[in-house]
Amino acid sequence: MSNNLFSTARRDFLRIGSLGALGLTLGHRSQIQAAHRQTRAKSCILIWLDGGPSHLETFDLKPDAPREVRGPFQSITTKTPGITISELLPRTAQLTNSLAIIRSVTSPLGEHGIANHYLLTGYKPSPAIDYPSLGSVTAHMRTDQQTLPRYIAIPEAKSTAGAGFLGTAYQPFTTGGDPAKPQFAVRDLDFYPGVDSARMDRRKSFLQQLDHFHKNSESDPTLAAAYRLATTPEAKSAFKISDEPDTIRQRYGSRTIGQSCLLARRLVERGVPFVMVQNTGWDTHDGLVLRLKEGYSGAKIGVGLIPTFDLAFAALIGDLKDRGLLDETLVIAMGEFGRTPKLNAVGGRDHWPRVFSVAMAGGGIRGGQVYGSSDRVGESPATDPVTPADLARTIYTLLGIDPSHELRTSDGRPIQVNQGGTVIQGLLA
Amino acid sequence: MPVANSTRFTFVLIGLISVLSSPVGAVDFDTEIMPILTRSGCNAGSCHGAAAGRGGFKLSLLGGDPAADYEEIVIARKGRRVNLARVSESLILAKTNGEYAHEGRVRIPPGSESEKRMTQWIKTGANRSGKPRILTHLELQPTETIVESVGTRIPLKAVARFDHGDPVDVTDWTVWTVEDPSSLVLDLNSHSVEIRRRGQQILLARYLDRVQAIRITVPLNDQRVDLSKQPRANFIDDEIITSWNRLRLPPSPRCDDATYLRRVALDLTGTLPTPERIEQFQKDQRPFKRERLVDELLSSEQFTTYFTYRLATLLRIRPQPNDAIGAKIFHEWIRDQLKSKRPFDQIAFELLTATGDTHKIGPANFSRQSGDARNQAERVSLAFLGIRLQCANCHNHPLDRWTQDDYHGLAAVFARLDRGTIVRTTTRGGVTNPRTGEPAVPRIPGSKYLDEQSDTRVEFSLWATSPENPFFAKAMVNRIWKMLMGRGLVDPVDDLRDTNPATHPKLLDRLANDFSTNGFQIRRTLKLIATSEAYTLSTKTIPGNRADRIFYSHFIPRSIEAEVLVDAISHVTGVDERLGSTPPGTRAIELTDVATPVPALDLLGRCARAASCDGDDAGEGLPAKLHLLNGPIINQKISSPKGRLHLLVQEGKTNQEIVTEFYLRALGRSPTKEETAYWNKTLDQHGDGRTEVLEDFLWSLLNTPEFIMNR
Repeated sequence: MSNNLFSTARRDFLRIGSLGALGLTLGHRSQIQAAHRQTRAKSCILIWLDGGPSHLETFDLKPDAPREVRGPFQSITTKTPGITISELLPRTAQLTNSLAIIRSVTSPLGEHGIANHYLLTGYKPSPAIDYPSLGSVTAHMRTDQQTLPRYIAIPEAKSTAGAGFLGTAYQPFTTGGDPAKPQFAVRDLDFYPGVDSARMDRRKSFLQQLDHFHKNSESDPTLAAAYRLATTPEAKSAFKISDEPDTIRQRYGSRTIGQSCLLARRLVERGVPFVMVQNTGWDTHDGLVLRLKEGYSGAKIGVGLIPTFDLAFAALIGDLKDRGLLDETLVIAMGEFGRTPKLNAVGGRDHWPRVFSVAMAGGGIRGGQVYGSSDRVGESPATDPVTPADLARTIYTLLGIDPSHELRTSDGRPIQVNQGGTVIQGLLA
Repeated sequence: MPVANSTRFTFVLIGLISVLSSPVGAVDFDTEIMPILTRSGCNAGSCHGAAAGRGGFKLSLLGGDPAADYEEIVIARKGRRVNLARVSESLILAKTNGEYAHEGRVRIPPGSESEKRMTQWIKTGANRSGKPRILTHLELQPTETIVESVGTRIPLKAVARFDHGDPVDVTDWTVWTVEDPSSLVLDLNSHSVEIRRRGQQILLARYLDRVQAIRITVPLNDQRVDLSKQPRANFIDDEIITSWNRLRLPPSPRCDDATYLRRVALDLTGTLPTPERIEQFQKDQRPFKRERLVDELLSSEQFTTYFTYRLATLLRIRPQPNDAIGAKIFHEWIRDQLKSKRPFDQIAFELLTATGDTHKIGPANFSRQSGDARNQAERVSLAFLGIRLQCANCHNHPLDRWTQDDYHGLAAVFARLDRGTIVRTTTRGGVTNPRTGEPAVPRIPGSKYLDEQSDTRVEFSLWATSPENPFFAKAMVNRIWKMLMGRGLVDPVDDLRDTNPATHPKLLDRLANDFSTNGFQIRRTLKLIATSEAYTLSTKTIPGNRADRIFYSHFIPRSIEAEVLVDAISHVTGVDERLGSTPPGTRAIELTDVATPVPALDLLGRCARAASCDGDDAGEGLPAKLHLLNGPIINQKISSPKGRLHLLVQEGKTNQEIVTEFYLRALGRSPTKEETAYWNKTLDQHGDGRTEVLEDFLWSLLNTPEFIMNR
């Protein structure tokens, strides 16, 4: 489309004067491209386990600890000799050769809001600076994807997973809805009922005509992007999980997290650099067996948080592997903190940031390993402590984003993509 | 070691030379050593100027506190940083000239003037004068300058005058920086700056506690522009025309009456004009019709409604959890103040000092919603001073003069408040200054400490709203300017500081002065701007001003708030948007609860008022655009059987009549001949499904930038 309305704005490069943080765009592009050449991962899927998943019931069980620590579940051996994980993760256990389990993540922040800010941005929250999330920074730095949004959240995103000072253009595109529902469709992506593609074409031609009458009007890159997305069936089809064969859909499980992971796979397959799957409910202050295993009381087959996660996570990694996409897709499963070593009076565990676990696979990660360890009762890191800033720096590095690249706040203040973190070399393939 | 010996020998030599070449006499720590530390980057925020210092050595940020720095350099670790017996072993020299390992590497090269001066200072006893000379004037060259062509090199010079002694050339000890290094290139060896790009460039000079901005301009065009016949309505035009002259920037022509009416109606009332009003205005042949229109709008009910909404956004009024009454009362109070034309200084004073039952006393909600003292200090500084004091919570402001003492001092002003449903003063409560670990002393930022025995809120508020406060009037007129002109004279509008100078400093001063000497009337400033010639220019650019974004040579189109956009779509289509459980007919700009569930407002980017929305644009972002393209906000309304379009079709109106009606409602103008011809031809081609084609026409009209933007 050569029309003004649908072309890219060049005005940023043409502005007069020197007020504000102008003139930065050009220099940075080459840096990004330079970094890009070393990219290991083209995309990242972050499975955000919101609320703080218990490390002691998932990836860091303590079978030898006292009863009040041990918890209700047993550990099982995995495909990788020497690595054991929860009995509720049998499918994941078959894929540990692709998996790096970090058991020594540590943070001082034990309240949900500030903790998920730290994990999702790599920065502790500051009253002065509204830091951008991993996904928003990736969207800002990776300009290769043209039609689909560069940061997509399924189905919603926390405000701490937002663009911060980078501004609305880098907010996650949220799908809304529930991918597990038969009628699932992304909001406003499809034509309004009664508007077919013939009418949409007519509308476009009218709109172009109106623009033509005003040769001088500013082009609007976002409108063009929205139009391109809404009218590019191939791009839109990325969101159509109903196109997947039943066998694949079943592989991921019928629950929201499974179908969300399937949607995430479809998106990275089409070149979306950052997808966040948000899975809620992990703030398990009581009833670990009910919440984590059963899902509803008296369930014969557990459909609680861990089994549904296991199904989805294993399916995602297996499916990516089958398609030859795992090497270029970084998959991360994490939440904002772990849970208290001691069970509380109502059979739950409370917030515990001092040590917790994160699982990573694909995209330049060396699988078949446990990195770091917690102490005997899962209370503190015992070896190789990892901070959320270290995690963020490692993720950016794997995605080919220079962690010391300087972003600019709206008032021109330079902020590095990551500060205070160290790349965890041991994780890298 | 031979190497060390030879280095030491060189040192002695340099020392000798320095004694010979420098003026004999004591080196003054405050005015001669401190600038070296600043110029060499030692006290930068990323180095020893960080709140925690670096490597065990901590300096005040950008040399804000010479006494503390003297203590740190000379007294602490006695004999290590400054070694009077063996001068060259002083760490302050040996670490910075490369002799000893230094994480920050060489900062003050051996043989440099800086090194000579430091050496001499130590040799003469490393003293600090009990009564240091005080900087009274900093004379800079160039001052405001216009140069003819790109490539010109301008010499730099800085001369300091002190309260006693002779003037001193401090060019070498001044920190020169440029805002845009690709436009101005500094050469510190030859003390000059080269201009590489046309336009207005900013050079900043920092010496001791002074920061001054110097404008250097290369006209944008070779040809002078003749502006002698350019109309002027008031002093705004005088200042704007002066800047065009300087830049040789030709202004676009005036916009037509229809464009002006739509523009000013949106800006002053958040409401599109009706077709009747458009016709009436276009037919009006009397002189001063634009002026009369502005008066009419400013005294309308819609003005009060819209500016209540705008002030509520500025003050971030939102309901407390489970208590919507306070926010409602607060809105009503704002409304009453606007209606009765209360001076803005009085409005602000009452907001800053009100106490009592927040369900009865509107302004008391300002303190209640602030949550705590620090939050209130930040809100007050943003809203009424236009400054970002929040940086100074953890460290002195890196770009400005605000210190942690200022931040925590202002927080202390608001510390003794109980912020429940009933806001009341208490006798306890305080704020700890993390710099000292002591209770913060109530303080007017950048000015003075307050007597803790008095009611410091009243004292602060009297100062804040008085002419002594250099920020209050400027911050408000700058905001008002942005509302109408699309960009703050200082931009962002909440970031007034010496290092972020106004594009038109004199205009900002004159507007502020006019505001404060004429009773702080928002309407007066709005009228000055809305009736200025600068405001009436067309958005269409002409050769020579196309690239201008900051000198107002053409009107800058801008997005309108989510609430105004939703109301505008209802206005055009004749179908109201459902706004939570509010009565039908309620407008989005009338909502007193920003959490009222309206998906369209969220998708279009309403200000949630949790944080300042000063820099945000509504209607931006992919979800917003997709919603306008495919969502119900437009589609449902254009296809509604009870909507305007379907009713006009039922009434038997012709295509041309329908097109004209919607052009008037949506764009505030009649279609041009060309447009009429196009629509007649295009719409008549579709015999069947006429309504659908008309719906598509209306859809495209509501998605054009001409509708979505104020232009």
